[in-house]
Amino acid sequence: MSTIPNSFKDIIMQESKAARGRSLSKIRKRDLKRPAAKWVTVNRIGGKVGNALSLVMLTQGCAHARGNEGGCTMCSYLLDGSPKPASADELLAQFDKAMATLDNMPSPLAIKIYTSGSFLDPEEIPLEARSGILSKIAKDARIEEVVIESRPEYVNGTSLKQIREILGTRKIEIGIGLESGNDTVRSICINKGFTRSDFTAAVEAAKEEKIGTRAYVLVKPPFLTERDALLDCVQTIVDAAQIGATTISINPVNVQKHTLVERLWSKGHYRPPWLWTVVDALWRARLEVDSRIDIICDPVASGRQRGPHNCGRCDSTVTKAIRDFSLSQDVQVFADLHCECKSLWNHVLIHEDVSLLVHSSEA
Amino acid sequence: MTTFWIDRGHDGPARTGHLRIGDSEIRTPSLISPLETEHGITYYGSLGHDETAAKPSFIALSRRWEQPRSLLHDENLILLPSMISGGILSASVGSILLSKQLEFLKDNSDTLNPTRAIVRIDSFTDPDSIASYLDSFGSLGVRIAAFAFDGVLAPSDYRNVILRSQLPRNWAALALGRIEPPLVAPLHYFGFDLFDIGRAFEAAAQRKRLMFLDTERITPDVAPRYCSCSACSAHPSLLGLAFDSLQDTLIQHNIGVYRMALSESVQLQQENRLRWKIESTTHSSPAMASFMRKIDRAAYSYLEEYTPNNCRHTMVLIGPESYHAPTIRRFRENIVERFSPPTHKQLVLLLPCSARKPYSSSKSHRRFIRTIESTIGSVRHRVAETILTSPLGVIPRELERVFPAAHYDIPVTGDWDSEEIEIAATALEHHMNKFGDDVVIVAHVNGGYLDIVRSAEDRIRQSIIYTSPEQPVTRRESLAALADVLLDMTEILAIDDEKRTELDDHLRAIADFQFGLGAGQLLIPDEARLGGKLYHTVTCRVNKEQVCAFVASIGSISLTLAGGQLLAPLNRYWVRFAGRELKGSSIFAVGIEDADPGVRPGDEVIVLSQDDVVVGVGRSEMSGQEMCEFEKGHAVSLRHKSEVNK
Ligand code: SF4
Ligand SMILES: [Zn+2]
Ligand SMILES: [Zn+2]
Repeated sequence: MSTIPNSFKDIIMQESKAARGRSLSKIRKRDLKRPAAKWVTVNRIGGKVGNALSLVMLTQGCAHARGNEGGCTMCSYLLDGSPKPASADELLAQFDKAMATLDNMPSPLAIKIYTSGSFLDPEEIPLEARSGILSKIAKDARIEEVVIESRPEYVNGTSLKQIREILGTRKIEIGIGLESGNDTVRSICINKGFTRSDFTAAVEAAKEEKIGTRAYVLVKPPFLTERDALLDCVQTIVDAAQIGATTISINPVNVQKHTLVERLWSKGHYRPPWLWTVVDALWRARLEVDSRIDIICDPVASGRQRGPHNCGRCDSTVTKAIRDFSLSQDVQVFADLHCECKSLWNHVLIHEDVSLLVHSSEA
Repeated sequence: MTTFWIDRGHDGPARTGHLRIGDSEIRTPSLISPLETEHGITYYGSLGHDETAAKPSFIALSRRWEQPRSLLHDENLILLPSMISGGILSASVGSILLSKQLEFLKDNSDTLNPTRAIVRIDSFTDPDSIASYLDSFGSLGVRIAAFAFDGVLAPSDYRNVILRSQLPRNWAALALGRIEPPLVAPLHYFGFDLFDIGRAFEAAAQRKRLMFLDTERITPDVAPRYCSCSACSAHPSLLGLAFDSLQDTLIQHNIGVYRMALSESVQLQQENRLRWKIESTTHSSPAMASFMRKIDRAAYSYLEEYTPNNCRHTMVLIGPESYHAPTIRRFRENIVERFSPPTHKQLVLLLPCSARKPYSSSKSHRRFIRTIESTIGSVRHRVAETILTSPLGVIPRELERVFPAAHYDIPVTGDWDSEEIEIAATALEHHMNKFGDDVVIVAHVNGGYLDIVRSAEDRIRQSIIYTSPEQPVTRRESLAALADVLLDMTEILAIDDEKRTELDDHLRAIADFQFGLGAGQLLIPDEARLGGKLYHTVTCRVNKEQVCAFVASIGSISLTLAGGQLLAPLNRYWVRFAGRELKGSSIFAVGIEDADPGVRPGDEVIVLSQDDVVVGVGRSEMSGQEMCEFEKGHAVSLRHKSEVNK
């Protein structure tokens, strides 16, 4: 595709910023000594079954969203953040509170640290807090797996070396939002603000330290037809695997408050992906990608108007199949899914491409 | 190479035409669909998704156009890649998307012949910004533009029509998206040539059966309607069908409805009755009503350019949607601009209209005329008989036989709504401005007509005498009152034995009305000899040579070559062809060098040679600007031409 003029990019940035409206000034002040959220799930950890702690740290949020670039078109994590930055002490306090949940739990354990941005961004998580948290993990022998998240620009030799040194031989994975393997889609439709080669460099650097990468893949950025979104998702999964991601997690768009996606959606110019699209993408990608790489999906707001959805009658069955697939990696879980609405989805795949009209009305 | 040309006969921007793509030809208007179907419905799909690319078809290049272009046949039309919903971002995105498509065409000119490309115009594009882009596309050979309708007739659908009106005249327009059957005729009328019937398939997948005005959902709780189409007849109980068979049946039915809707629209267009259909459809939904009204208002000059000045049927004007119809508004404007009352008029007599046309053949007008003749008959030509009506406004007696004054039909109940009263009152005000202050108005009206005069009263300088405002105007007492008033007027009318001039007045007024002010004096000079009857034919001879004839059945004047020569100095209603000698009975668009932009389809025109010599007269088959822009198609049907080698 010939290159889109910069003016286009500027417009997307402006509109992404404009979509935040006055919401930024209304962010609640919150107790910076408590994590934004935490929960424990049962997971497969190194071939055994164990407990995994997910922890969302309360920070000032993603620098890409805070700054001049306006943030990604579908993301309002910034609004979950705190209006003022959290200090190292506060962040350590948040971590301790969350860790307390794991008291008395047997080995093996896993810990997944999310922020509303990048764990490796020193402005968001001061270096002191980062090394403090990592050292606390290192001291807990039960913890066998660690997952953190970051934009690729913070994933470099220095930060990785430090992580590896502190955490020793534990399994480590860094989640990076690749979203799309296509630079045009990533920059224009998502306003992601980094290139495919930035992602590749981060994955390569992580490999050096034997750190795995989990690529997040977006299903249906705005300004794509349903079919383009499907094809883009499959291609991105294939690309991410080829680049060297160790796990691929696909995220169907859910319409978040105060985002450009929400503005489009409220005017009928965007519809979250069909669950059939998610199924089809997983199915096609699973057949193409090395079976050692897991392709997983845990759709948020599935079956809701703001989340990926079908007709309403089949949504829970299809969502369950998607979750089952994420555990088993067996495409056969999709083989028996049927619903009348699949015809309509098939129509949308053809007709949106021809008409370039968003088929947002429901069955 | 793709070419587009149109047949004779417009009804508003609606036309029938031909799209030649390589060796194949699509007749327009035409339906296109995602299934390869019979019955002249053309297939469409998108590259890389559907393997079957029949020829010719409409193939969408999506964002992933990198896919093997070898799948494209030479005869496929290519929908250029654009961005779904991009335009909503900002006003400038529409033009950015146009420049992207242009760039795409230039970058791929080695494999993609631009004459096969269809440019997509986002509904948010600023209509004032597209001309230069369209020029660039046009010079590459692009002849089709596509617009996406969302089917709710919201502002974006309205903007699509406005954008369409900006297309070069020799382009075809493709309506994509959700086009319900009731929208087919309106979009045809608004100048679209190709219609996406994807909605037939979407609806079927939603268990919906499309109808002419609405949509029926097939659910177990409601007994389905009766439908006689072959698809539905094959299944007396739709409710008993499994979903797949139901869907197939509904697809067949829905496609059938589109075919019926389109064929009806084409036939009505050819009979010049499409506008009537459109106005009837207005009532299918409030959205449809406001959609049409807004377009009538905003796109008047576009609609008017293609609206013929004659018609073979009675025009049916039923409600408010007719008040601003192009024919009607143009008539009112032409009365203002092109009617100039002869200076010998000293009295204006206001009369109500009648159901029968022309008015003078009606019972009521025959009574009025008898009263006039018996009182002031010898000076009747000094009376400006003026008929009040709506929505046409005022009609001077001289013009009661022109189109559409003699060719319209309204529900005559005598009550006018306030808009109609205002339309007629304004027309009356403009009309009276053309007369001197000392002219006297005799208003022989009551009921709604009286309301018209009363509401104009303050805006009129002349004095008004009401004959019998309290009772029906055709009663004996009312007619007697009229007679009394007229007799009182005899002094003003300065009776002497001068010659009556009605025939001259009529013909000059008609010539002015048809060709513009001044035409009457040129075509019917003082020495002209007129013969015949107004209700049939009146011929005009100058120096023993016939120059023109008024034919009552068509309500207009036709010219002879000599008439054309007389009229030429007016510099209107001419077309210039690239040559000196006319051959055959028509001139084709390719041969037209230039034409008066005021020419409308069906107008009487003068044909000039390249040296500006009048070499023929005839009837235009398209608008003056269309003749200049089209490369192909019938431009003028010749009536008379200079003899070759004479
Ligand atoms: S998606 Fe990630 S990078 Fe984009 S704004 Fe949200 S947190 Fe920041
Ligand atoms: Zn369903
Ligand atoms: Zn039927």
